[in-house]
Amino acid sequence: MNSVVGLVKRLARTTVIVLLVVLGSTILVRFAPGYLSDAREMDSRYAAAARVELSEEAMRSSSLPHMLATEIGGWTHGNFGLSRQYGVPVLELIVPRLAVTGNLMLRSILLAWALALCLSLFSSAGRNPSLLWHAPAALLLAVPTAAMATLCLLADSGGPVLVMTLLIAARDFKFLDRILRKSWRDPHLLQARAQGVTTLRLVRAHILPNIASHLLALATLSIVTALSALVPVEVIFSLPGLGQLAWNAALNRDLPVLLAITMIMAIAVTCAGMVSEPPGEWQTA
Amino acid sequence: MRSRRIAAWLLLGLVLIALAVIAAPGSSYSQQDRALPLAGASSHHPAGTDALGRDRMVRVAAAFLLSLAGAIAASAATTAAAAGVGTLAAFSPAALGSLAMLVCDVFLALPWLFLLMMVRSALPLTTSPVHSAEVTFLVLAALGWPACARAVYRGTQGLRNAEWMLQARAGGLRSPQIVRYVLPNLLPLLLPQFLICIPAFVIAEANLGALGLGIGEPLPSWGGMLLELDNSAMLLRTPWVYLPIALLIVVLLLLEALAVEV
Repeated sequence: MNSVVGLVKRLARTTVIVLLVVLGSTILVRFAPGYLSDAREMDSRYAAAARVELSEEAMRSSSLPHMLATEIGGWTHGNFGLSRQYGVPVLELIVPRLAVTGNLMLRSILLAWALALCLSLFSSAGRNPSLLWHAPAALLLAVPTAAMATLCLLADSGGPVLVMTLLIAARDFKFLDRILRKSWRDPHLLQARAQGVTTLRLVRAHILPNIASHLLALATLSIVTALSALVPVEVIFSLPGLGQLAWNAALNRDLPVLLAITMIMAIAVTCAGMVSEPPGEWQTA
Repeated sequence: MRSRRIAAWLLLGLVLIALAVIAAPGSSYSQQDRALPLAGASSHHPAGTDALGRDRMVRVAAAFLLSLAGAIAASAATTAAAAGVGTLAAFSPAALGSLAMLVCDVFLALPWLFLLMMVRSALPLTTSPVHSAEVTFLVLAALGWPACARAVYRGTQGLRNAEWMLQARAGGLRSPQIVRYVLPNLLPLLLPQFLICIPAFVIAEANLGALGLGIGEPLPSWGGMLLELDNSAMLLRTPWVYLPIALLIVVLLLLEALAVEV
């Protein structure tokens, strides 16, 4: 019963956060200093009268309640509103790209987990953190995603999955290495090692079950890392996903599209955060 | 501890070299040498020139200083904001503290790059380069505080239940007086947060610039210079195009080394 109440509380909190994200993003965009300016106003092909009309139209639709009503109206109609740039419902733009982005993220995260887990199992077995394992991870985290993607493109080797995988794996490796190192120092494991229990058996019977509860937190970390790398990777590799759509929308001031994508990202992160908390903590939510 | 000291000295050395390059007579990050676009290294231009004939060495030095100064200022602002919000939330009634943490969760639910893109895309079309640099780092500072505020909130709550705190309250010290004693105790928490934010902001600015949404030209920035890597014709003509990315990686590794082990 307590778990159900906790789950309901978590769901309510997630809903409130998503609603606040909608409100906050709309306010942020509305009060950004250049919200009322339109690229078409600077186009000399538009007559002075047309430019004044554009400006007046922007003023009319600029009140916060109007913006929120339009936004929520778009959501209730199920189409997320109308794209300024393409003049089509935002949903039509998002749906085909969702599959591309989802596929990229899923493959990268799974590969990164496998890579990070294998590497961290080896690295954590040593007595002290070795530079051999940690230097590549530090180097990968120090290279901006955009630069890593460009270098891959220049070298004509690797693709978006490789860049995302390396980035996520480097972050996950640091997280897993810390947890595993702590696990290896547990007194019962030290005794088991002293008694000659094989490393393979220790990993299978003790280490992996020990870290299982942390894997959900790892999922959140991976999703957040992947989302933050999504835009540069998709833009540089010309991958028609949500990141590229968001970048196009940002360059062309297509705010309905940008807001809808931001909402989707917020929902993904919030839901991942909710799932990553063990059910025991839902009771105290 | 030793690696941190070495990293600090190396960073200081790089800053001094960059300052010397900028302060050298005749050096300008925006002056174009129309006769020498995409030139290789020479006595006039030790690291060659970019596509517009601007000295690459001066631009890299200016980008390094601008990015470092902006990231340090933004990190200081974000740490101060986090310290303020976290401490006040911990000393406020429980409902107010929960509300403050809910606001943090709202910010944390949004990936940085999307928020940055959203705000940058809504800036006026006529934004000046200096203004674009200010806004970029201001937005970074405005978005970076929630994670740190959460950590400060947890840390302050721990301090609230410490024995010396209970004694101070029992002794009649008021909350504003207590906060004065809390802040020095939070330094071990705030200093790593401050140092961690600096490389994160440098990377965020570079990524944003590489997408064409960062600091405006002709001001030099890491992101703007990474855009040069897209031009394969330029890459074939001079290997000096790789100087910005190489230096950026070195700087980020030094900043990371500085943040580790604090």
